[in-house]
Amino acid sequence: MASLHELQKSFADALRDPTVACAVLPPANLSIYRNNARAAFLSALELTFPVVRRRVGDDYFRQLATHYRERSPSRSGDLHWAGRDFPPFLDEHLRGGDYAWLADLARIEWSRAECSVAAALPVLSATALARFAAHDFEHLVFGLQPSLRLHSSPYPVFSVWLANQTENAPPVDQSRGSECGMVLARSDHLEVRHINERMFSFLSALQSGLPLGEAIVHADLEIEALTGALDFIFSENLVSSLSLNEAPPTTK
Amino acid sequence: MTRLATRGVPLGPIPARAGIGLRSVHHDALLEQRPDVGFIEAHTENYFHDGGAAVRALERARTNYPLSLHGVGLGLGSAEGIDRAHLERVRAAIHRFEPALVSEHACWGHAGGEWFNDLLPLPATEEAARLLAQQVSEAQEFLGVQLLIENVSAYVAFEHATLSEWEFLGEVVARSGCALLLDVNNIYVSSQNLGLDAQACIAGLPAASVREIHLAGHERAGGVLIDSHSSKVCDEVWELYRVAIARFGPLPTLVEWDNDIPSLATLVAESHRAQHLLDQRHGLAA
Repeated sequence: MASLHELQKSFADALRDPTVACAVLPPANLSIYRNNARAAFLSALELTFPVVRRRVGDDYFRQLATHYRERSPSRSGDLHWAGRDFPPFLDEHLRGGDYAWLADLARIEWSRAECSVAAALPVLSATALARFAAHDFEHLVFGLQPSLRLHSSPYPVFSVWLANQTENAPPVDQSRGSECGMVLARSDHLEVRHINERMFSFLSALQSGLPLGEAIVHADLEIEALTGALDFIFSENLVSSLSLNEAPPTTK
Repeated sequence: MTRLATRGVPLGPIPARAGIGLRSVHHDALLEQRPDVGFIEAHTENYFHDGGAAVRALERARTNYPLSLHGVGLGLGSAEGIDRAHLERVRAAIHRFEPALVSEHACWGHAGGEWFNDLLPLPATEEAARLLAQQVSEAQEFLGVQLLIENVSAYVAFEHATLSEWEFLGEVVARSGCALLLDVNNIYVSSQNLGLDAQACIAGLPAASVREIHLAGHERAGGVLIDSHSSKVCDEVWELYRVAIARFGPLPTLVEWDNDIPSLATLVAESHRAQHLLDQRHGLAA
């Protein structure tokens, strides 16, 4: 008699491959479990990537999801994370073709999935800057909200995502070229919006932990643009903490 | 769990009343309407996260209702062992939401590094009972709670099973000290699919260990009943429920509805039907 471990292995093999036998009765009913597993995985992907699905249609989305599952089967009892590797899968699968941009579109949607369950930290207003001496500003490290994700793509994928919130949206002209944008969890919705390239560079630098002075250099910001960038990050409630890079905070 | 309430609602025990399974489409309606149900039950995995709308909604709902957390992804009968990361997230959810009941399933869910995200059936053998009991014990120790273990629907039987389902579950209870969550619809579905005696199963379970009952709808696909949680509870299951509460006494009873989810009012009405039967049998005030 097979051990429990052997039995579960053969059951699992039979779920993956209908031609594999397993000591259950009636064998045909294994298809119910096979279909349940497939449907649960597909449903998780459909929930996570609604605009990708809308752009490619149900049939092709199912094909992509099936291939993706063969490559990256579920590794958790929590299907929320089943789509983690779908964008790089699309990258590889569609590279060089007319639909290569779908991978970056999927990255936006995966960011939405991550942001939708990220912690929301208390927001700091610009008045928090007053706690620091002006000569320390260049050493300030900005903690941004954990639910903020930034993207830069050679394709107009933010325009595609925003245009496809309803069925039958017209295609977006791919010649519009590169776009940057951000995804952020607000208290009652997930925001997806364009940002310009400099703002993307600035926010990316801050998000990577660079102090303000280095982030300014990284994004090549002039003083006027810097004022606008700081106004943006505080008015959009992106900042959750401020600290000095190395030395303890210097108060006035 | 015996800790005192910190959220305005007693942590336990959950009253012997009818409750509803909380699904995200009902979050807003539940918070606005505050229907008269005995408790709410949430799928643990849906509230694993650090933040987000679902977590905030359950925290708010938790102030109005006793809570049961019901896991669907741990698969404690998996021969390749317990997923420790998953178990840690269950523990975090318990600490965050302070449920009065915590339940899992008598099933397995992963093999060869792949998770099937379904409640896969265990063979009713001594070996499987020992393994499930051992892993239930480990989980209970780690989580610091007594688990309720639910019987699952079955579409296949194992050729070498040596125990009845109630003997199997009784063995798990005796070895691990867990309690049982009796899903009456699952008993009915399995009995129809595999030719088992549903009444004998209810009669054979260790009565003192049954602490909660689940009710749900199913659908027929060809000659097989599928535990779809997509419709009202059928008459045959209501009849088995009467038998169950006659044997096990008044118990918290949950109506689950996970697919083709109706309005909150329809779901609450279904739970009120269970409440009516509880009141009829045991004379409890609604």
